[in-house]
Amino acid sequence: MATSAGGIEVEGTVTECLRNATFRVELENGHKVLAHISGKIRKNYIKILPFDRVLVELSPYDLNRGRILFRYRT
Amino acid sequence: MDSVHCTPGERAVVITRVAERHWHALEDDLVVGRGEASRRPDGRIFLSIDAWHGAVFEHLAEAMLPALPRPLYTVVDEADADLTSQWRRAGFTVRRREWEYLVPTAPRTTGLASILPPPGVTIVPLGEADDGLLRELDRVIRDEIEATVGWQEMPAEVLPRPAGVTVLDPSKYAAAVEAGHYAGYVRLAHVARLPRIGLIAVRDGARRRGIARALLAEVLGSLHHKGIARASADVNEANVGALALFDGVGARRANSNLELVVR
Repeated sequence: MATSAGGIEVEGTVTECLRNATFRVELENGHKVLAHISGKIRKNYIKILPFDRVLVELSPYDLNRGRILFRYRT
Repeated sequence: MDSVHCTPGERAVVITRVAERHWHALEDDLVVGRGEASRRPDGRIFLSIDAWHGAVFEHLAEAMLPALPRPLYTVVDEADADLTSQWRRAGFTVRRREWEYLVPTAPRTTGLASILPPPGVTIVPLGEADDGLLRELDRVIRDEIEATVGWQEMPAEVLPRPAGVTVLDPSKYAAAVEAGHYAGYVRLAHVARLPRIGLIAVRDGARRRGIARALLAEVLGSLHHKGIARASADVNEANVGALALFDGVGARRANSNLELVVR
């Protein structure tokens, strides 16, 4: 787990692709969050799929929500 | 460094330009939004804004748009209705739609098992294309596209490349050979679990003979042989020929991206 000025960043695994361009991500501590993808990922046409390892920034307003910042190569 | 102070509801948010193409939205010293502008190889500027609530998005857009040369572009997942409407409120309109196809690889599904290239044409398998011939074809096809619809109408080419270099890795290509020259090619990116067909093109004068279909048969057959069940491809909705090619092999439209523009 890491913190930045933007909030907590945690690694996790995508478990489900949901409607409305959201993903369910299981974090390393077992907590599950709903996450959107960041604009940078979208701009670069990076596809997010179930089982992808990702870096998630948690919302400072709601720790059940997050944003996928990075997809790790597997 | 530019700063704009605003008050959405009861929260004071400060928008700060932290670098030439980066903006932050700060709330009590916490970054609650980020904006970024980046230039693609085709010269166009694409924006992204990530914000934890709508008011922050609006303030970032208000700070970024006047500071950048128009036109400005962005890409949204059409299923993300909230984000799409935020960009629309900032003045962006839809320029085009790109369908994301999921392409099956099994020959019994694609119907490509018995597909042969047209007479006089042979297919060079993935990874065996000649570097020189490939680069020659790539130059020809890029010139043809630039002289007709233009690269801006093609699904995005977002990777930065050294000037003049368009073929980064020849091992990702299969090609169609006719009379000692390459007439068409297909590029496959080996992304984990879902390989991506990044480009399929046939040079002017060799089209409408089934070469693209034969190239597709080669790459999909290769993936099927490796046990990979499907690939992805992004296709501009206006590219009727490409839509027909992928629809014709049983590919499914799984998603759509909108390219938005403000002029």
